[in-house]
Formats: sequence, structure tokens, C-alpha cells
Amino acid sequence: MAGRTRTTKKLAQRINLNYFKELHGIPRWRRILSAILGGLGLIWLVWAVASGNPKPFNAGPVAHSHSMFGQKCSACHVSTASYSQAVTDKACLACHDGPIHHAEQTFVPACADCHVEHKGVYKMASTSDAACTQCHADLGAKDKNSPPKFEAKISGFDKSHPEFLMLRSGHTDPGTIKFNHQVHMDPKKGIRGPHGQVQLKCVDCHRPPGANEAWPYGTAEIVQASMTSGPVLSPGLPSRAYMAPVNYQEHCSACHTLQFDKRFQDSVPHKEPKVVYDFVVKKLTEYIAQHPDQVHVVDEPDKRIPSRPTPPIPRNAQEWVAYKLSDAQLLLWRKACKECHSLSYPQGDEKLPEVAKAQITTRWLPHASFDHEAHQMVSCESCHTKTMNSKETSDVLVPGVQVCQECHRSGSNAAEARCFECHTYHDWGKEKHVNGTFTVKQLTD
Amino acid sequence: MAEVHLTIDGMPVTVPEGTTVFDAARMNGIPIPTLCHQQNETPAGVCRVCVVDVGGRVLAASCVRPAENNMKVSTNSDKVIGARRTLVEMLMADHPVPCARQKHSGDCELETLARVEGITQSRFPRRLSPRGQDNSSLVIAVDHEACILCDRCIRGCDEIRHNDVLGRRGKGFMAGIAFDHNQPMGNSNCVSCGECMVSCPTGALTNKSVVKTVLPGEPVDVEDLLQLTYFQKVSGTFLELNKNAIVRRHFKKGEIVCREGEYGSTAFYIVEGQAQVYLATPMAHVKTQGGASGFLSNLTSRLVGRQQARREEEGDRRSIPIDAPVDLPYDNPVATLGPGDLFGEMTCMSLYPRSATVRAATDCVMLEMLRNVLDIIQRNKTLKAQLDANYKKRALDDHLRSVPMFSTLSPEFIDVLRHKVELVRYGKGDVICRQGDIADSFYLVRMGFVKVSEPHPGGELVLAYLGRGGYFGEIGLLGEGRRTATCTALDHVELVRIHAEEFQQMVEQFPEVRRNLEHLAYERTEQNRQRLATATSIPLDSFLAQGLMEAQSLLVMDLERCTRCDQCVRACADAHDGVTRLVREGQRFDKFLVATSCRHCRDPLCMVGCPVGSIRRRNSLEVIIEDWCIGCGMCARNCPYGNINMHPFEVMEQDPAAPARQIAVTKHKATSCDLCTEHAEPTCVYACPHDAAHRVEPNEFFRWLKEPSQTEARH
Amino acid sequence: MRIDKTHKPWLVISVALLVLGLILYIVYAVGAPGGPRGGSALGLTFGIIGYAMMLYAGALGARKKVPTWRLGKTKTWMRGHLWLGLISLPIILFHAGFSWRGPLTAIMMWLFFIVIISGVLGAAIQHFVPSMMTTRVPMETIYEEIPHVRKQLCDEADQLVVAVCGPLKGETPAEAEEVTGSDQPVAAATALLVDIEQEDRMRFREIYLTKVRPYLEDPEKPNAELASPRRSAEVFDSLRRLLVPQVRGVLDDLENICEEEHQLSRQIRIYRWLHGWLLVHVPLSIALLVLGGVHAVIALRY
Repeated sequence: MAGRTRTTKKLAQRINLNYFKELHGIPRWRRILSAILGGLGLIWLVWAVASGNPKPFNAGPVAHSHSMFGQKCSACHVSTASYSQAVTDKACLACHDGPIHHAEQTFVPACADCHVEHKGVYKMASTSDAACTQCHADLGAKDKNSPPKFEAKISGFDKSHPEFLMLRSGHTDPGTIKFNHQVHMDPKKGIRGPHGQVQLKCVDCHRPPGANEAWPYGTAEIVQASMTSGPVLSPGLPSRAYMAPVNYQEHCSACHTLQFDKRFQDSVPHKEPKVVYDFVVKKLTEYIAQHPDQVHVVDEPDKRIPSRPTPPIPRNAQEWVAYKLSDAQLLLWRKACKECHSLSYPQGDEKLPEVAKAQITTRWLPHASFDHEAHQMVSCESCHTKTMNSKETSDVLVPGVQVCQECHRSGSNAAEARCFECHTYHDWGKEKHVNGTFTVKQLTD
Repeated sequence: MAEVHLTIDGMPVTVPEGTTVFDAARMNGIPIPTLCHQQNETPAGVCRVCVVDVGGRVLAASCVRPAENNMKVSTNSDKVIGARRTLVEMLMADHPVPCARQKHSGDCELETLARVEGITQSRFPRRLSPRGQDNSSLVIAVDHEACILCDRCIRGCDEIRHNDVLGRRGKGFMAGIAFDHNQPMGNSNCVSCGECMVSCPTGALTNKSVVKTVLPGEPVDVEDLLQLTYFQKVSGTFLELNKNAIVRRHFKKGEIVCREGEYGSTAFYIVEGQAQVYLATPMAHVKTQGGASGFLSNLTSRLVGRQQARREEEGDRRSIPIDAPVDLPYDNPVATLGPGDLFGEMTCMSLYPRSATVRAATDCVMLEMLRNVLDIIQRNKTLKAQLDANYKKRALDDHLRSVPMFSTLSPEFIDVLRHKVELVRYGKGDVICRQGDIADSFYLVRMGFVKVSEPHPGGELVLAYLGRGGYFGEIGLLGEGRRTATCTALDHVELVRIHAEEFQQMVEQFPEVRRNLEHLAYERTEQNRQRLATATSIPLDSFLAQGLMEAQSLLVMDLERCTRCDQCVRACADAHDGVTRLVREGQRFDKFLVATSCRHCRDPLCMVGCPVGSIRRRNSLEVIIEDWCIGCGMCARNCPYGNINMHPFEVMEQDPAAPARQIAVTKHKATSCDLCTEHAEPTCVYACPHDAAHRVEPNEFFRWLKEPSQTEARH
Repeated sequence: MRIDKTHKPWLVISVALLVLGLILYIVYAVGAPGGPRGGSALGLTFGIIGYAMMLYAGALGARKKVPTWRLGKTKTWMRGHLWLGLISLPIILFHAGFSWRGPLTAIMMWLFFIVIISGVLGAAIQHFVPSMMTTRVPMETIYEEIPHVRKQLCDEADQLVVAVCGPLKGETPAEAEEVTGSDQPVAAATALLVDIEQEDRMRFREIYLTKVRPYLEDPEKPNAELASPRRSAEVFDSLRRLLVPQVRGVLDDLENICEEEHQLSRQIRIYRWLHGWLLVHVPLSIALLVLGGVHAVIALRY
């Protein structure tokens, strides 16, 4: 380098001392873009606020059923005196009733605590497990009863749901109708029906209400099932959720006929003993009135009747009736009815027995709802595994929690296992009708 | 009156008793050539050119020989002519032909004589050892080669002017004329009256043509000049020769005589009228605002005065030192000068910029002069006395008061002290006192710049530069001890000197003065000791190359951390009225950029030459610039690193072309880094987001250079 | 900026805060009946803390506007910006319960991610690039003044050539003399005035005006011949062979000036890397803060 030198003074004096006061290049654009983007953002939102457009501020799509007024924030975000327009229970209760869970709970969560909106769910009722376990995970602290009446530590279906009550030790089927599933459903032998061996299937007896297929094995006395046949099920549940209780007319009468005398083809009515008694008396009386000559005919001993001393020959119609009545009673009370029913003689052996109430449990899990319709693709014995081997009525054949847990687990390849699938929080028995005050116009505006 | 009768060249003459032969001949029309004889001087008879034959054993010098009765004088005999010729030949042998006088005016008496005698070439060889020249005087050139030792100059200085400066020195071949104790003429007590020059027959003493240009203005008649008291003892011929160097100027009321910050080379003497001297530059500092930091505003520079925004760096000066007989009070920097006042001396003598603006308050008549004339009158004893009295009356009080140890003294003390001071002058390069000398005086600087330094390995360490109003040597006032530093005059310096004995007497009356003095002396010693202590390390080549050794504080930027974001610059500007004191440009040292920002050098070259003393060192470290800076730019020019910047701002002034109108004029103020001493650390360091800027003491910081084993410690 | 061990305290604090937040969040999220929500007590806490961190990070720009106010060293603010800004992302994710929700919040999340990522990238750039700049641009100057300095370089080159060849064609002598810069080249070159033929001088001037000066006038023009250091060296070598030896000194100086121009071009490029990412980081963060503020106001209402 011939002549060029670099000294501090020369270098410094090249510089204009005010260079940093004005922005150029990148810092300038930084400032411009900041102003633009910040301004745009602000304008966008202020515009939205000013024009009442809630779309930007929407925290997510509303539940499917609310989508009709999903754009109308004030439908739920009701104005209160203070700044906050957070959704309170009042908003929900304008359309829905959410009855209390039960009186012993120590704190009542707000609607929105469990039913989370703005997540675009199809069903708002699909609450998370946490909604339930916030109390039920440690019920002792949240229940006024001490100790709590129910299982104290449930934190989910998978691992900590207790065995269903009826299946825990000490519980049996309270039904009094004697029934041996194994005999009736023996897969190898079948059972003798009126027209020969038949192979009974679960569905032959256990049908949801309204299923009116004819009994295939004979003539049953079809009882037109009403939609509310049987004991009144809990309201709000699908009516085909549970099997209609097995009843004599539909399911038993084809094979278990109630004939009382070989002279008659009729079966006694399947009613209280008094009715049966009267029926038999009536029938016998009518018969002997029409066939007075039969008074003295001695019947062959009926093999069905337990042996007893030979009765004297009846002398007259009354005696004939009396004797035949006693035979019939023996046949019925001591054999036919007794085959299935539990009879007791509180007033003495000579009096009419009392038949224990059948106590057929229609709904085994009173605190959970179960829908057979949803499970109709599963074969009955796949869940009710013990049925084929059940000999006793007292056997509780309802599947245990493990059976459910085979499918209903956490994870994506499993059936819904959250609490709400089976349980409800709200005690719908206490539901009150909401006196709706909205007009259609209000809702569709 | 007795008479004497004698014969000269056969002609009888009668003359009064006591007349010399030469005069006798002259009275009767007989010319005798002379060299060393001048009519108005006592004859000396040293050149022997005027020898005549009076019948004695040897030829007699006619200029000293008194005429006697019956003397037979022969002025043109062969013997006499032969002697005369030989003498002239001898003199011509060493004479530089043509000498200065012969060149300028063609009337070198020796050469004329030689020509008359028909001598063209001397038979004698020229002397071998040269006698040299002396150009130290501003007005007279001394050429010893042309000197014929005729003694005319000595007699002129002694007899005619009674200055007694010239004398003889040496013997024989080494004999010559000398000023005082053989000092250079310019450093002697010579008053430049010019008498010697006028007396000199040859070109040994000639008028220096200092200036070729003619000053604009009305030339002054020499007779008028000689009327003025301080020109009275000056040779008229001399003034005639320097006619163009002094002019009379007339100023109407309101006219500007000179402007501060302008460069000039003349001084002014007020003959009639009053003039106002003031600082036209606002007493303020530049504040620059706006630009990008203010979102929408433009870049504006304006002035902010002390009242509006006092800065930390301001000191407590009560007066502003200027180049005039009186200093300007800080609060209202205006003063009045009247007839008899001389101003502009520093500008004229040392070519510094004008320190203030002078405007005629009434119609004025002034004499404007160049340096040579100023030099003449400055040496004039009458004027000197007048100027000194003026100074003592008007400015000395303030100066004394500005010295901290005198500031609290009673007015009586100051009054007494005032009369006991002496005003002394020094020329460029003169040593005022040396380290180690016995200290016997205290000095106050009235004009010029003094360098206070100590010898140091590798050169000298400058401790301070003192300008007008500065002081040194307080140790001397205690009457004991020796000088701790050497003080040298950097240019034409005038000092107020207080002798220790005088002072001692006064101190007896005022004992608290001694206490203050001792305290101050101790402080000064401490400061100097500290400064020396930090300068003891040996510099390395790489260090020296950039002049980093000189610095007491460097602003370095670690270039591996610096993201070039300019935060430091913005912060500095923010902290300093919008004017940045640092520039992110400069040379690199290792991985650091040595930013262009005041290094607070040990040897602050920037301070030399400030006409108003506004750039000064506050304690021992930081250099600051006060509000009365007139923006002349000396400091910026002097700083070798470009660390001082001149910032422009606009003021409205009268348009010289159309007095009724105002136009915007750009003026400047100087700015430099002041280390932000009011804060714990400098603002630039504080504001750097990446810990890249550091203000460091270079020797400490770069110590690893000498100790490579400590490289790890550095990182 | 260097992210070195002096950042350690900040790293420790940030990680501690993050771990604390994570624990709190996990505990909360698992037990929340409706799932983690921004509006719940803990969600709000996270939101407030997160937004406070974002505001603090954004305030760095404001802090730099008042550098003289003693509000804490800018260095500290910078480190806070880096570390608190970094962990504001997980904190806000905790606040949001890791879901994007509606349009406003979704946009904010996107902006947030871009801002954080650009910030991390920018921190990395500013960690590595300054020393690159230092090593590769020895003749660095102030970026904003590069055009001004370039003009001075061009003037200096002109002056060098003028001293040898006289006024450049088409310029008045006055213009040719108006230069800033050193007087040394003039002194060096003036000496050459003596022994160069007029023809050679004219040739030199011609070459200068056609080859060199266009580059100096506009050094950023694409595909300029002298813009590449290698090509420039070749050109000057050929010029040295082509022209008389007396002008070699001037050629050396011209080559040095071109070298300085190369370095300035390099500086421009590196500078753009050093600061360009800010064009993404800053405007988006401003938008984010604005949106965040409105979001806070609106969400608290609803």
C-alpha cells in the first residue's frame, strides 16, 4: 500500500455524527412493520368488538346442540352487574334443568365446571372423568356421611372401579322363581319342549320390551307388551335398554302348562292362589253339573301328584268337587307351582299358600345405565359368562366389572370408559320442567 | 573659547579647543572616510579608517584625536591612503558580499567605501570559522558575518537610547557584539527600538521584513506614532521601515472590530472611544433532539443554557479568561475596554483564534498592528508599565480569586498582595522553572500556555497544560522545598509572579492562608504522585503504535460480543443533550475496537491553545469542555485521535450586508467524552445490552499482553 | 452477544420456574373437572405470569429507548428477555392447556411460536455472527455510514487519479479538487507528475474511468467486474502490466480502496444476517402483545 494510511482520526472523521438519529434499512422497516402489524391486529379486534362480531374471540366451536345460537354470545354470557360476563349456572338453567346429584355432597360444582363448552363436542354431557373423580376419588372428604355410603376411592373405570354391588360377596339374586339355566340351556341335550327337544336360546326368554316375536317352541300366550310393561324403569332411559322381565305368559307357559286335571285342557290362570282356587272350583263345579255321571268315576292315580291315601269315592257333586279340588290343589300347590315358585303356608298347611313375590330384578345396576341395544352385536353368553353353568336362581348372572373393562378401557382402541357412559350426575328423578320463555324469534335471531 | 590653529592638507584651519581633527576637517570641507564614527555618538576610534597622518610615529584616528596647535595633518598622503585601503581590504575579506543592507538599500557603508577605494577583491583569505546569524528578534536580523565590530550599535543602544542591552563579548578573533549576556536578541531585554539597526553601517543589523502584505486601514504617520508615549523611545527610522505593520482604524458605534473564533494576526490598541468585549457564542451547550428516537420529530439542534439544564461537568469558574486586559465574568460575559487598552495579544503573538468578540460601543479610533510592531511596543518600558498596571487593576483580582487557596482571603489581603506581584514574560520554549530548583515564587498565568511536566522513562510525562488563569508553583510560596515539576512556556507567555519573601510577610498577618496552601500543596503532590504511579509500566510496541500508552481511559468494544446495535451511541447522546461523545469507529487492538472517544490522555494536547480556557481537566482524569467554548476548533484540531467533535448549531445574527435583517449563521461548540462521572459507570457501558463496551485503564486491561500466562484470566 | 457461563444464573432460574410450572400444571390438568382451562385460577396465574414475561420481553425495546434512566443495566434486561422470553412459551402453553381454541388464540399461538423460534434463531445468530464479522471484515465501519464512506472512498480514488492525470474528463477543475480525505496520496502522486508521458496519463485516466470508477460509484451493482476479490486482483495485475511503472503506487492505492469496498460489501451482507431476523421477530411480537392484551381483556370478561 503506497500512500493509504489508517489513523483513528481519519477513520472517525469520515463519520457523520448524527447517523444514528435517523433510522434506515432494517431498523426502519422493523419499526414500520411493527406499527403496521400491531395496528392491523388492533384494528381487527377493535372492529370486531365495535361491530359486535364475536368470531375472533370465540374460544372454540360450541357444542353441536348449541350451534343454533353459537354466534350469539349473550345467549349464555349473560350480562351481570360486574365486568365479568362469565357463564353462570343461570344461563344454563334457562333451557336445562340440572337436578342435584344428591343431598350429601359437600360442594356443588357449577354447570360449566364439568360441562365444558367451546370445544365443539357433539354431546355436552360427555364430561371428563375428572368431573366425577373430583369428589369420588376421595369421597370421604366430599360426602356429608361419614363414612360415605359408596365406594370411597374411585378414580376411573379402568383400574379403580369397584366390582358391581350385586356381584360382591354376600349378594345373591333375590328372585324367588326357581330356575336352572343350565338345565334349560344345555348345549348338548337341549330340553324337552311341547313338540320335542328344543335348544333354548337366551333371546327366547330375555327380550327387550316390544319385541313381539312369537315363542318359537309352542304357543305362548303372547301378552302384548306395552312400552312400559313391567316395573316402571327409570325415566329417561331408552326403553329397549333392559330386557323386559321374563314373564310366565310369554316365556314359560308354552312348556310349563298349568293343567290341573286331565279332564280339562285348560290351564289355571297364572294368578294368585285364591284366583286359581276359585277357577278350579268353578271349573269342577261346572263340569260336574254338566256331567253328573262322573261323580263316581274313579280316576287313575295321577303320577304327578305325590302319593297319598286313596280318597273315598265321592258321593255327590260337592264331594266330587271337594275331592277333585284337593287333588288339584295338591297337584298345583305341591308340584306344579312349586316347581318354580316358593310357597309358604303361614296360615297352616291346609290353607292356601302364599306365593313369594317373584322379585325378578329388571335392573341390576340401579346407579348405572346399561343399554342392551347398544350391545346387541355381542352374543349374550359372551358377557353373561356364568349363565350356562348357573343352576341356582340365587346365582347373580349379571357380568362383573371385568367383563365390561374388556372393551370399556381408556385409550383410543377401546369403548368409552368415561364415567358418563354409564352414570349420570344429575338425579333425573328430581327433574323439574323448565318453563321456557324464549320465543322462536329470540332463538333464531 | 580658546582656539586652535592647525594645518590640514596644507590648509590652515582654526577651530575651537577640543574639536577633533575629524571635525576640524569636516568643518572645513575636507572629507575623511569613517566607519565606526557616527555624529550623534561619542567617537570610539575602533575601525581606524579615519586615520590621518599628524606627523607622529603612528597614524592617528582623526575621530578621537583632538586638534592641537600647529598640527600638520595629512589626510590623503600615500601612507594614509595605503593604510586606509589595507584596512578596508582586511574588512572586506570577511564581509559577505553583498551583505543584506547592500542588497536591500545598496548603501552598505563598507562596500561603498570599498568601491570608492577601488577595491574589488581582497587579497586576504576569508576567516574559516563562521560567526553565525541571529534571527531570534522579530524585527531585526543579526548577521555577525557582516559585523565589523564598529561599536556603533553598542553606543546607540547605550548612549542614545539608554537601553544598555548591547555589549561586546569575547576577545580577539572571537570578539563580537552580544545582547545582554550573549542571549539571542529576541530573548534579551532588547526593546526593539531599532536604534542599533539604524546605527549599523553594514548589513549586520537589518530590518526584518516580517510581513509583506499591507494591513487594510489608514496608514499612520511616523510623527503621529512618535507622539504616543510608548513609541517615543522607538527609532523613527525603524518605525518608518515598519510603516505598513501598523494602521489606524476607525470604527463606528456598533461596528464589530473582531469576532471570536476567527483567526487573526493583529493586536488592537484603543486610542479613543470605548469598546465592548463579550462572547457572542451563547453560553450554552448543544442539545440535539429528535430523529428516530422521537418517533415523528425531526432532528433539531438547539442550545441549552446552564439555567435550563446544568451539566455535571461544569466547574465553578467565575470568570472566563480572554485575550484582553480584563476577564469576562461568567454570569454576564461582557466587559468594557477603553483608551489605553491593548487586546488581541495572544492572537497576534501566537496566532491563536480570537477569544472574544469586540464591538465599538462608541465611535472608536484604534491602532491595529502586526506582530513586529506589537513586539516593539511590548518591550517598551512605559507601555509595559501601563499594561501591567492595567492588568493589576482590572484582572489580577479575579485571577487571584480564582486560585482556590486565595478565594477565601479577605479583600485587604488581596489588596496588599496586588501591589507585590511582578509581571514577567517568557518566550516560546523558555523554561520557567526546573524540577529540583529551589522554589521561590508562585506563578499565575496571564497569557499563553505553560506545560507542566516531569521527566519520565521514555520521554517526559506532561502533568498539565495551564492557560490563562492557571497557576503553579504554590510549593514555592511556602518558602521551602524544591520544584516538583518543570514548567516550560509553549508560546508567548506572561506570568504574574509572587515572590516567596513578599508572601511570607503577608502570611504572618493571615495565618489561615498558610494552612490552605499546605493543604493544596499536599493535594497537588498526591495527584502528581498518583499519575506517576500509573505511568510506570513499560509500553509495548504494539501498544505504542496506536498511542494507547498515552491514554488514561480507553473505551474498548469487544467485537465478538458487539452486535453493532448502536445502543452505546444512542445512550451517550441521550445522556449528553443529543450529542454523542463516542463514535463506533477507529482502529482495532486484538479483538477490541478502540472507539473514538476521549482517552483523557496523560498529555492532553487538546488543551493547548484554547483561547478561552474552556477545555480543562477536572480532577486528574476526565477532560471536560465548559459552556463558554467559542467553537474555534483548536482542541479538535489538536487531538490526534479525532475524539473532539465540533457540533454545529444555528443562531440568528445580523446580516452584515443588510443590518436590519437577520440571517441564520452556523456556529460550533466543541464536545468530548466526560466519563459520566456523576454515575457509577459510564452510560455507554451501562447501556450496552451485550456487555461488550468497557471503559478501561489500558495498562491494567491489557496486562495480559505482557504476561501470556494470564491469557486464561482475560477470558 | 455471547451466551456464556455468565448466563448460568438465568438458566438455573428459568429451568426452576419451568419445572415448578410443569409440576403445578400436571397436578392441575389431571384433576381439573373440565380439563385444563385458561380461565381457571391456575390457568389465569399462568396466563398472567406468561403475559408478564412477554411484556417484559417486549419492554426491552422500550428500555433501550431510555438508556440513561437507571432502571437496571440493559445487559440484565437483555438476559431477562432471552430467558424469561424463552420460558414464557411453556408457561403460556400451560395457560392454554396445550390447545389452540378459537381464531384469536390460534393466531396468537402461531405468532408466539414464530416469535420464539425467530428469537432463538436470532440469539444463535447474534452469538456466532459478530466474531465472523470481526474476522472477515477488518476494515469494518459503521453500517449506516457505508454509503457516506463509500462516497469518500470514491472521492479519494478520484483525487489519487487527478493528481496523476489532471482533471477527470467532464469535470471542472474545482469539482475535481473538492475532495475529503487525506492529502498524503496527493503528495505521493504529485511526485509522479514529473516523469509520465501525457499519453500514458490519458490511458490511465481512461482505464480508471471505464473500469474502476463505475465500480466505486455503485459497488453493489450486481455482476460488477471488480466486485469479486479474485477478479479484482486479476484486473489490477493486468493493469499493472499494462500501465507505466510510475503509476504503480497509485494502482496499489486503488486496489486497496477496492479491497475496502469488498469488505464493506461483505459487511453489508453479514449485517443483514445479524439484524434481518428482527424484521420477523419484532413486528410479530408487537402484534402478539397487542392481541394478547385484547385477549386478556376480552377473555376476562367472558
